[in-house]
Amino acid sequence: MNIVLRLAWRNLWRQPRRTWLTMGAMVFSNLLLIFMMSFQFGMYGLMIDNTLKFFTGHMQVQASGYKDDKKMRQTVPDIIPLANSIRAKLASDTVAARAQTFALASSDNRSFGIAIYGVEPTFEVNVSNIPGLVSSGRYLEAGNPAEIVIGDILARNLRVGLGDEITLLGTGVDGSFAAAVVDVVGIFSSGAKDIDRNIAEISLEHFQDVFFMEGAGHLISIVGTDLDLVEQLQADVTSMLPDSGEFVVHDWNVLQPGVRQAIQADMGSSFFMYFILVVLVSFSVLNTQLMSVLERTREFGIVMSLGLKPGRLGRLVVLETAIMGLLGTVLGILAGALLTTWVGHVGFTIPGMDEMAAQFNLPARMYPQITTLSLLAGPVTVFLFTLLASIYPAVRLRWLHPVEAMRSV
Amino acid sequence: MRVLVLALIASLSAAAGAQENDAESIVRDSINHWRGLSSKTELTMVIHRPDWERSMTMAGWTKGEDKSLVRVLEPRKDRGNGTLTIKKNMWSFAPKVNRVIKIPSSMMGQSWMGSDFSNKDIARADDILDDYEYTLLTTDAVDGVEVYEIDAIPHEDAAVVWGKEVLTITAESVLIKHAFYDQDGELVKVLETLEVSEMGGRTIAKRQRMHEIETPDEWTEIRVESVEYGLELSDSLFTQSNLQNPRD
Amino acid sequence: MHLFGVLFQLAWRNLWRNHRRTIIMLSAISVGVWAMIFMTALTRGMVDQMVVDGIKALPGHVQIHNPDYLDDPSVNNRIPISDAELQQKFATGNFVAWSSRVKVPAVITSERDSRGVTLLGIDPAAERDLSFVKYDEVDGRFLEDANDKGIVIGRKLAATLETEIGKRIVIMSQDPHNEIADRGFRVVGLYTASTGAVEEAFAFVGKSTAQKMLGIVGETTEVVFLGDDYRDVEAVYESVVAEVDGSVVVNRWYDVDTYLGTMMKVMDGFVLVWVVVIFLALSFGLVNTLVMAVFERVREIGLMLALGMKPGSILGQIVIESMLLLALGLAIGNILSWATIIPLESGVDISFVGKGMEMIGAASVLYPKLNLNDVVLANVVVLVLGFLASLSPAWRASRYEPVEALAKVG
Repeated sequence: MNIVLRLAWRNLWRQPRRTWLTMGAMVFSNLLLIFMMSFQFGMYGLMIDNTLKFFTGHMQVQASGYKDDKKMRQTVPDIIPLANSIRAKLASDTVAARAQTFALASSDNRSFGIAIYGVEPTFEVNVSNIPGLVSSGRYLEAGNPAEIVIGDILARNLRVGLGDEITLLGTGVDGSFAAAVVDVVGIFSSGAKDIDRNIAEISLEHFQDVFFMEGAGHLISIVGTDLDLVEQLQADVTSMLPDSGEFVVHDWNVLQPGVRQAIQADMGSSFFMYFILVVLVSFSVLNTQLMSVLERTREFGIVMSLGLKPGRLGRLVVLETAIMGLLGTVLGILAGALLTTWVGHVGFTIPGMDEMAAQFNLPARMYPQITTLSLLAGPVTVFLFTLLASIYPAVRLRWLHPVEAMRSV
Repeated sequence: MRVLVLALIASLSAAAGAQENDAESIVRDSINHWRGLSSKTELTMVIHRPDWERSMTMAGWTKGEDKSLVRVLEPRKDRGNGTLTIKKNMWSFAPKVNRVIKIPSSMMGQSWMGSDFSNKDIARADDILDDYEYTLLTTDAVDGVEVYEIDAIPHEDAAVVWGKEVLTITAESVLIKHAFYDQDGELVKVLETLEVSEMGGRTIAKRQRMHEIETPDEWTEIRVESVEYGLELSDSLFTQSNLQNPRD
Repeated sequence: MHLFGVLFQLAWRNLWRNHRRTIIMLSAISVGVWAMIFMTALTRGMVDQMVVDGIKALPGHVQIHNPDYLDDPSVNNRIPISDAELQQKFATGNFVAWSSRVKVPAVITSERDSRGVTLLGIDPAAERDLSFVKYDEVDGRFLEDANDKGIVIGRKLAATLETEIGKRIVIMSQDPHNEIADRGFRVVGLYTASTGAVEEAFAFVGKSTAQKMLGIVGETTEVVFLGDDYRDVEAVYESVVAEVDGSVVVNRWYDVDTYLGTMMKVMDGFVLVWVVVIFLALSFGLVNTLVMAVFERVREIGLMLALGMKPGSILGQIVIESMLLLALGLAIGNILSWATIIPLESGVDISFVGKGMEMIGAASVLYPKLNLNDVVLANVVVLVLGFLASLSPAWRASRYEPVEALAKVG
């Protein structure tokens, strides 16, 4: 075996340029694959985080069944003490309780049906972007003030500004009449028409008063430090809740199934394209090896007529390819890792992203993240396809007639 | 469907001329008798769910088929809340905020005071007859009283979701049952009279219960505590300003 | 020139002398070219799809509204120009299609459930080219004319409401006096859209029927215009603005859907990046192939030099060979692309991830789009790159010492 190995190695370097160029193609593709995949995964992380941090959070504690029926009555009792205890046990401030319902908001003689949320002002800023999107006035203050923040389109439709009053009319949790007058202290602008037209926030304590919640709420939104740790966090929070089964902790996959699926969809189409890249590289290797075999026809003819079996010759060719492939893979991984780490530090941007950033509160620079998957998936696939590619030239050797072969130029 | 309308309408007795077997005239008679009539009622509404029950006492005034005013008397925290309906439109008043607010069409489908009736059910209109085609199905005698079962099929363009409604009305114009069927003929919800008695000089449905067939454990019951008919009620009673500042 | 002719013949014959080698190299180039064009078409198709879909939901490239309508899209903010006048003004103009419609929020109710929807009162003939609804693919039938009394809703909405074709539902909205306006409609058709969300959002009725129900006979809330190219709507815009005054606002599609507009720019940037990437990857292969073409014929070249061929001619011959190879490879690659893209233009199905695609606004079927510009670019790049790539080895080859070259065993 050792001899075959040495032969293979030497064969490769008889034509150093060719070997280098082919390896170069492999290294380049690997570099690309690693970078693009890391970039892609980094972007997904960003997308998820952005969507979730806007309002949903990484997970929510809710009454069992609330997610599907969304009935006012499906409450989490004593929600503020519960949120406090979760905050204490997690030693984290990114935990916020909420209550929500649909109600009528009216000013003077204009009324609109809206979704109204009762939030904990001190903590809501940590789990949602909306407080940060207040463009005039201020966000809500802690306590039980009769204050409200509304979207800018709703403000325009109601013809109200800072300091004006809005009347809220709805149904309490027990079916009774709920009504309140609140002052507009802040107006937010998210860029999303639906949000700016239909959503308003008041303090949770005030919500509980107005809608007769008796200390209850509807959900506790929790944001963890890292997307990868969500599962663990979910288990932790579940263990903090009573066993009764009245409460559940839903993670973002359940709350916003579209996010994960959007990512899978994007992966679907990206992998289709990566695949084509891999095919391209393998083809180039196939091409090289075919050429290399072709030009050694005479030599192979001689060797075979001296007694070497075509099978062994075939193995030689495969081995040559394998060594080249291995080198290409290793070098490619190195190069890819280096480039991606560097860009991961510095960040980069595509034209048009700064506009997106300004308008929709999305980040302007992207930072690719290397993961084991992004580092290995591409190169390994290329290596495998390369080996596959070497089969054809190896197999063709079986049909080599030594005498004819020796005659070729 | 203007459930409460028919319930209140048909709870009047139409003593004169209700002996014909023509379905439409049976219904029309109750309505005709009702037209131009006014009433003041005190009633209790009970909302029952598997895990809780809530009871409210209300005072209601009606004039003709278009106008009605309802004010909550009990429980205390809801006292003074009111609903005014004129034709298909509804206004709400809450003393807590001291404002009258018109309910937009987008909220008309919401439940009225948490009950199994929607805002749309409560609001009345004078075109009930126009919306349906009435056919008399059967005439029976129960305890010596004639009872008519009437099919009401909504017209093509009528703003009615039901495939058909079946009304069971006595010769004294008391609505015993109002069943709502979907367009496949399946029974979806039903309003049943549990008790008939003489009040305010007429035979009326004293207790009625509304529930959806799929959730028999969730219902809303209306119980008439007292009623007066034929009062002189001025139109100014049914205005937004009166809703806000009661002079009743 | 005669020399060129000789070199050309030599080059051509050289290529086919060792046809195995040539075929291998041709296939490398063809596949490379195919990949370039195919990938570009795929990504272009994706961006195109996303934008066109988004525009169809608006719809139109240019829109007219009452100034207050975009904030509060209700019946109170109608277009102050009457429909009759609009028909006159826009009987001709710089656009492909246009339509005036009634678009207001409403509640749709069935026996079992109710939902908030956007009610669209339309003239189906005028909307055919604008609408995202494919009239021929509607279950049941689409609206026949503006007086149609039926309603067409999305499949998903029908499922949610537990209703179906032939059943009645009730639409409730408001008239300009803030009074309830409601009416029963028979469901005559169900449409499918690219996403379930769209199917639950829009309900179509005849324009006259809607106007009567809402008490706004002869008036509309939105006018939309479609041009040729979503990337350049200026001509349409100018044409529309010229016919109206300040009582209405005229917007281009990217003013109305700013997200889509910006997204398009980002995606275009993305496509550019991808194209560059593919071209780079291909270049390696190209250079590799061409360099190899020279270096394994060292002995041949040595022989020709020894026989008296000038180094300059060697250079020429090799370059011509490379260009011939490239040209053939390009031809095959282009044909391959054309042959694979055209049939696939009706869609590559990746619907197993269908649900998620809705969120980023792309359909679950990919439509590669063959763009002449892209094809030309690909060909030019390959030719230029190829030419440059073949120069170096060709020049080296012409510098061989005949004796050394002959002696190489290869």
